[in-house]
Amino acid sequence: MSASGYLGLLPLAILAGSAILVLFGLAFARQRYETAFALSMAGLVAALASLFFAWTGAPQRFTALLVLDHFAYLSMALSIGATIVVEFMSFAYFRARREENGEFYFLLQLACLGCAVLASSSSFASFFLGLELLSTPLFTLIGYRREREAGLRSAFMYLILAGVSSAFLLFGMALVYLETGSLDITTAARAASGSASFTVLAGLALMTVGIGFKLAVAPFHVWTPDIYDAAPAPATAFIATASKGAMAILLVRFFAPAGIAGAGPFAWIFAAIAGISMFTGNILALREGNLKRLLAYSSIAHLGYILVAFVASGNQGSAAVSFYLVAYFVSNLAAFAAVAGLSTNEAEADSIEHYRGLAKGHPWAAAALTASLLSLAGLPLTAGFMGKFVIFEAGAGAFLWVLVVILAVNSTISIFYYLRVVSALYRPASEAGTGSMSPRPAMPALAAIALAAMAIAIIVIGAMPGSLMAFIREVARDIASNAAAAL
Amino acid sequence: MAAVSFEYGLALAAILFILGLVGLLTRRSLVFMLLCVEIMLNAAGFAFIVAGARWGGADGQVMFIFLLTMAAAEVAVGLALILVLSGRVPGAVPDEAAAGGEPAPVDMRSLLDTDYQKDAQAGRTRP
Amino acid sequence: MNGLGSLALYLVVVVAIVGFIMVLTHLLGERHSQRGTAVPYESGIFPTGSARIRFPSDFYLVAMFFVVFDVAAVYLFAWAVAARELGWAGYAAILVFSLETIAGLAYLWKMGAFDWGARRKREHLERHGY
Repeated sequence: MSASGYLGLLPLAILAGSAILVLFGLAFARQRYETAFALSMAGLVAALASLFFAWTGAPQRFTALLVLDHFAYLSMALSIGATIVVEFMSFAYFRARREENGEFYFLLQLACLGCAVLASSSSFASFFLGLELLSTPLFTLIGYRREREAGLRSAFMYLILAGVSSAFLLFGMALVYLETGSLDITTAARAASGSASFTVLAGLALMTVGIGFKLAVAPFHVWTPDIYDAAPAPATAFIATASKGAMAILLVRFFAPAGIAGAGPFAWIFAAIAGISMFTGNILALREGNLKRLLAYSSIAHLGYILVAFVASGNQGSAAVSFYLVAYFVSNLAAFAAVAGLSTNEAEADSIEHYRGLAKGHPWAAAALTASLLSLAGLPLTAGFMGKFVIFEAGAGAFLWVLVVILAVNSTISIFYYLRVVSALYRPASEAGTGSMSPRPAMPALAAIALAAMAIAIIVIGAMPGSLMAFIREVARDIASNAAAAL
Repeated sequence: MAAVSFEYGLALAAILFILGLVGLLTRRSLVFMLLCVEIMLNAAGFAFIVAGARWGGADGQVMFIFLLTMAAAEVAVGLALILVLSGRVPGAVPDEAAAGGEPAPVDMRSLLDTDYQKDAQAGRTRP
Repeated sequence: MNGLGSLALYLVVVVAIVGFIMVLTHLLGERHSQRGTAVPYESGIFPTGSARIRFPSDFYLVAMFFVVFDVAAVYLFAWAVAARELGWAGYAAILVFSLETIAGLAYLWKMGAFDWGARRKREHLERHGY
């Protein structure tokens, strides 16, 4: 292994090493909370910076476990960026009991490492390791606020569901391994693409159930609203973005090279999941009065949109998934940054009633939240619009007319409930404080920075998507050629 | 002596997996749910061992070790959550002051039996 | 004789010996019927109270540390059986693994996870006042 080979591993090594440093900081530093935040943030920024050095060495394989190509680095950048934003919004959110809350950053960083491993895995072993590195900290992150019983119950529920979905996933992997004799992802994908045996198909079906749980697409979505609602807002933001994004990236890496997603029985299965998810998410969101639950339902629908691009497959499909993920990340992070910033130690700002009259007290926060919601709805001049546009393009290119029509119908449905929240922002606050917080707390600085950065990103990507789109297309072409070389 | 055909091993793994799934769907107690998940995970691990034995490679066993690690981590977190939760069920844990500052004891019955929790909440006692 | 035949013979011998001992004790042994005879764990001591007692939750910590470090040992063993074949690369890997485990251990130690019982309670009370 050459020096440049190890250079390619640098982002993962920095993430892991700095996680250990955070642990030491928590054990020995006097100001645990601030130290953990600073160390973790330094590690994340260093890992992000190291991606530039690693970029030139790509693509390469590191042992049988990791494939370090541009696509992996792009998704690492996404996960790390999302984690940085989540840490920004956590800092104020958890400041009330800072003596106990430093561990949040350690767990967040471990989960981020899990995302990075997941995005670059080329074998079932690293896939599983990455997934567990991601899920296990999440149990604790969801139930982090011990004084809230709902959070603890949801954490336990998530633990059981994650265990079950891991069991499904592993059993499916074992079946595929039984038939192919290899843990390699591309080998497995190739075995599945030809005239696949019953064992392989059964294994892939079980794996689809496991992955479906993690992505929270219908019909495996039932857990989403409860857990989004009960978890602390920064943890919810992480689950909604980094965790699901890494899984979607892995799905592309696993199924895209062999063209499974584009043809055969699995194309039908994924198309059905996409359609059901879009309708389920959007219809359930219509009457929801809790912003966190509303975002949960909307995330089900958004994963459905992403699956449309996934079924479209090919270069264009992979590029569309990646681009939509970027748009989805910035929009969701902005929304959750607003929720986290406006929550206090006593009350989570989750009811839509809380947001009535926000434009009066916090005009900038209201504007940023509006941008985020409009982007989620996919209105023009936002990142979400460009994301939907790219998915339309990919779907139409693959002649998936039914899915494209469903996507259009659902985009229209979704506008209703997003606009319901937006209109609440600009209506006068209800009297006698039925739900609305009075006096409303000032937005903490770091959360405001995160919110502003994400809002600017939404507008910039929406107005000038050209260079980002070209970049992502380049990277997606890279993954296709890598896969061809591996096959 | 002929090696056992891998179909038998796979059948056993499938039976274990389904047992765990059925148990998970029928049991309502937290500890038993955790146990059933562990059974399902072990079924998957067993399937890996069987598959590894078929190919004569170590990969299946490697996956089993990973699985064991993950199961241990999950149980550690799961039991911790159960402990904290059980501390919140009224009646399951006596007032710390009343116990004379001893470590908070946990009534195992409250963890194994959710009906007991309901009884405890309602202030009923059972023989 | 094939494998199954010897297994059958072994079974027959086992059943015969156990049956012989049971019949012999039934014929030769003395009988008595007293207060504690029918009680489980009969050895002259009467059970006091229910077996369903409340455990201090500190035992959970002991059990979990055992499980966690037990699993760490699994990796060490897996490395040890192939140490020569794995060479220096394997040694470096297991060294990193051990250091990370030690880091976790150091954290737990510093956080006071290992001193359970009354002393921990007292110190916690002194430090935090609750």
